[in-house]
Amino acid sequence: MSSSKRSTIIVEHLRRQQMWDVISKGKRLDGRALDDMRTLEAELDIIKKANGSAKVKLGDSEVIAGIKVETGEPFEGLENKGALIISAEVLPTASPYIEPGPPDEETIELARVVDRGIRESEMLDLDRLVLVPGKIVYTIFVDCSILNTDGNLLDATSYAVVSALLSCKLPVFEIQDGKVVDTGKTQDPPLTTIPVSITQVRIGDTIILDPTAEEEACMNARITITTNSNSDYAAIQKGFTGGFTREQIKKAAETARIKGEQIRAKLQELTNKTG
Amino acid sequence: MSQTRSLIDKQGKRTDGRTAEQLREVKIAVGIIKNADGSAFIEFGKNKIIVAVYGPREVHPKHMAQPDRCVLRCRYHMSPFSTDTRKNPAPSRREVEISKVMREALEPALMLEDYPRAAIDVYVEVLQADGGSRCAGISAASVALADAGINMRDLVAACAAGKVDDKIVLDINDTEDKEGGADMPIAYMPHLDEVTLLQLDGILTKDQFNECVDTAIEGCKRVYEIQKQALMQKYFGNETEVKEEQQ
Amino acid sequence: MQEFKRKYVIPGDKIVDGNFRPLMNVIRIGDSIISTRIGIAEAGRDGIKVIPLSGVYIPRVNDIVIGKIVDRSSLSWDVDINSCFSAHLPAQDVFGRDFSPARDDMNRELATGDLITARIIAFDRTRDPMLTVQDRDLGKIPRGESLKISATRVPRLIGKRGSMIQTIEQATQTRILIGQNGVIVVTGRSPEGIGLAVKAIKMVEDEAHTSNLTQRIKVLLNVTDTTPQPQPIPSSSVAPSASSEPPASSIKATTSDPGASQAESSVQIAEEIPEEHQSTAAPNSHIAYSSSSPTSTDHASLPSSSTKGSSQEERSGKTDERRSAISPTSGDTRKTRTVIKGVHDEGSKEHDNKEEAD
Repeated sequence: MSSSKRSTIIVEHLRRQQMWDVISKGKRLDGRALDDMRTLEAELDIIKKANGSAKVKLGDSEVIAGIKVETGEPFEGLENKGALIISAEVLPTASPYIEPGPPDEETIELARVVDRGIRESEMLDLDRLVLVPGKIVYTIFVDCSILNTDGNLLDATSYAVVSALLSCKLPVFEIQDGKVVDTGKTQDPPLTTIPVSITQVRIGDTIILDPTAEEEACMNARITITTNSNSDYAAIQKGFTGGFTREQIKKAAETARIKGEQIRAKLQELTNKTG
Repeated sequence: MSQTRSLIDKQGKRTDGRTAEQLREVKIAVGIIKNADGSAFIEFGKNKIIVAVYGPREVHPKHMAQPDRCVLRCRYHMSPFSTDTRKNPAPSRREVEISKVMREALEPALMLEDYPRAAIDVYVEVLQADGGSRCAGISAASVALADAGINMRDLVAACAAGKVDDKIVLDINDTEDKEGGADMPIAYMPHLDEVTLLQLDGILTKDQFNECVDTAIEGCKRVYEIQKQALMQKYFGNETEVKEEQQ
Repeated sequence: MQEFKRKYVIPGDKIVDGNFRPLMNVIRIGDSIISTRIGIAEAGRDGIKVIPLSGVYIPRVNDIVIGKIVDRSSLSWDVDINSCFSAHLPAQDVFGRDFSPARDDMNRELATGDLITARIIAFDRTRDPMLTVQDRDLGKIPRGESLKISATRVPRLIGKRGSMIQTIEQATQTRILIGQNGVIVVTGRSPEGIGLAVKAIKMVEDEAHTSNLTQRIKVLLNVTDTTPQPQPIPSSSVAPSASSEPPASSIKATTSDPGASQAESSVQIAEEIPEEHQSTAAPNSHIAYSSSSPTSTDHASLPSSSTKGSSQEERSGKTDERRSAISPTSGDTRKTRTVIKGVHDEGSKEHDNKEEAD
């Protein structure tokens, strides 16, 4: 059951007023333009025990994604595909408002939206990750730990997952004498595309990109759009309690394509996967 | 816990190349989580652990507040990618126990009576584990608590010693933890000479026990020097003395 | 007691042995005085204390704080004062003794999200801090840009006898309200001036522990943004950026090390307040900014408020005489009081119409 709740962050009226004033002039409180993303940084392979990992900073939002590869049974109905499981946890280190405990509805939505973007775009060619059709497949776990939040965790988490997948090395498993054996060799992951998630929020009548926590506390509605390398749409999620006009949706979708291209190039550069 | 293979070679080198009294490399960075009141990141050998402290702050739910002192809450948690095989994110019994002994290791150092009706939350997140993560976590947590400006009687430094190939060695790593003869983590307040955490897993004779305690405390003192250096570096730069004012 | 060299300490460090009186952020263990915080240990006439460099704001009676209304009950407002305790402002303080929830609408005076300047009138171990806005210059803050710094840096931001904060105000033509709890509100004519003041304040917070901070702040403030703004009349104490030798008047504040100037300003005033307490900021060192404090007249005699012709225009004659805790650029503190009494500021009308996130 989901119920409406009070906002945890109460933004002072003065600050809110400042935000509206500055947005009406086409800028944001931190000096960015309406459609500027914050600085994106990625540190790769920081968890040596994982098969792949990336620590991504989008402004002050910081997420670590770690990949662990095992073998197991395929999902029901997907017997000839590898299994991909993406989860996320907002650690209580991330902000004063988080309490430890099982993931709440926002965290679960976050994990599922990020998962959808990666899965629907078919970033990983799961057909190539089968050992024994119908019985034993590669199981790829991508787990995200969010260390610090300053808004737009949807994009920050997605970029962490994408960076980790772009830079990981999968083990090579084989069946020997009916058993699964880790050959000790590694292989590049079978990648087909680079999905990029772009989140926009509406404040009053203005749409802005990559909101900070403060901007999220003042938003009326939010939309997250993931495009693939062809700039086709792969996943979309509208969030929060206000609405968008049809015009706004179409414009946001176009922005997501254009910005998606830019971020894609940046992610490729950060993971040395250009071309 | 009895060994099945030798873990120290003929030159006295352990599985990771160290000698019996060598501590793994320890690095501490202070103030790395922007939203937290205090924080620290520690690399202790291959352990990578982040600690964030929020507090003192209001207690939620209100009925948990104590009238004459602060409530200390401690959570030790491992990220799923932190171990050799992927770990389920839900808290395990091991994590629950470690959370408790960590809290009990830190509490003696904190002046909780200074903050009645408030709470201090210590979140220890293990990003990569390699034996001795609870000691590394406690050491980082002390630094984070000092960074948060909480009144403390002393810092708490922690280190483990153990028995490997029937010898007492300092700071056992993951392999030695899993395959060795005994594992004894200790947390210690260096100025007050007080042990605040002590656990033993394995068999030790009386002499081995005494040697193990002494060795572990030696390790704690070395860890303390690194904690102190990290805090001095962050707060006072490279200065060691306050420059006197010119008249 | 002879002069004792100031020391950097962390919790557990021994400061000194002997029969000294523990004053602040220190404890006696056996024969020794031990620090309980990261900070600068020093000895004064009354005993040993440690000036802390980190820590949440712990409320003290009579502190002037800037708080944010976050909720209300039927009889009082809940105010976030950037501390571990939530403060309360009784409705009676604003409406008077005959306040009745049925008749008087609390929202007309103060709503969730409003910022107020208030004084702490009660606080002890058994209950949350209680506020009042009844004094002169307290009440709702109608405009300005707000930011937070660590409460432990407030003394450094104010500077010795207000020197640092005045330097910033004059160079940027702004008015800066500072709460002991680390919340700051900046008002000014030009957005560029406000932006520069905010930058300077953040620099003080980040570098409070370094030497020559005053000089670097002055360099920052002399660097104008590309947009033209009226230049403040250069004062004799502003060092040209080429010079490496700070002029004599600022040496005391800068050449000694990090918290030394911070420590200094606190030691000056601390001597008037001998009680031992575990506060996070030097006691009452910003009292100059509180209208109810004894040292505000001390501050008023400073030359700065009368020598700068251009910045004088910013202030009404009334507020020249004493630095008050609240004075928006329109300069009329009476207007602030009327806001509390029930006349709406235009800004708040707009707020009522826009969608609120909560």
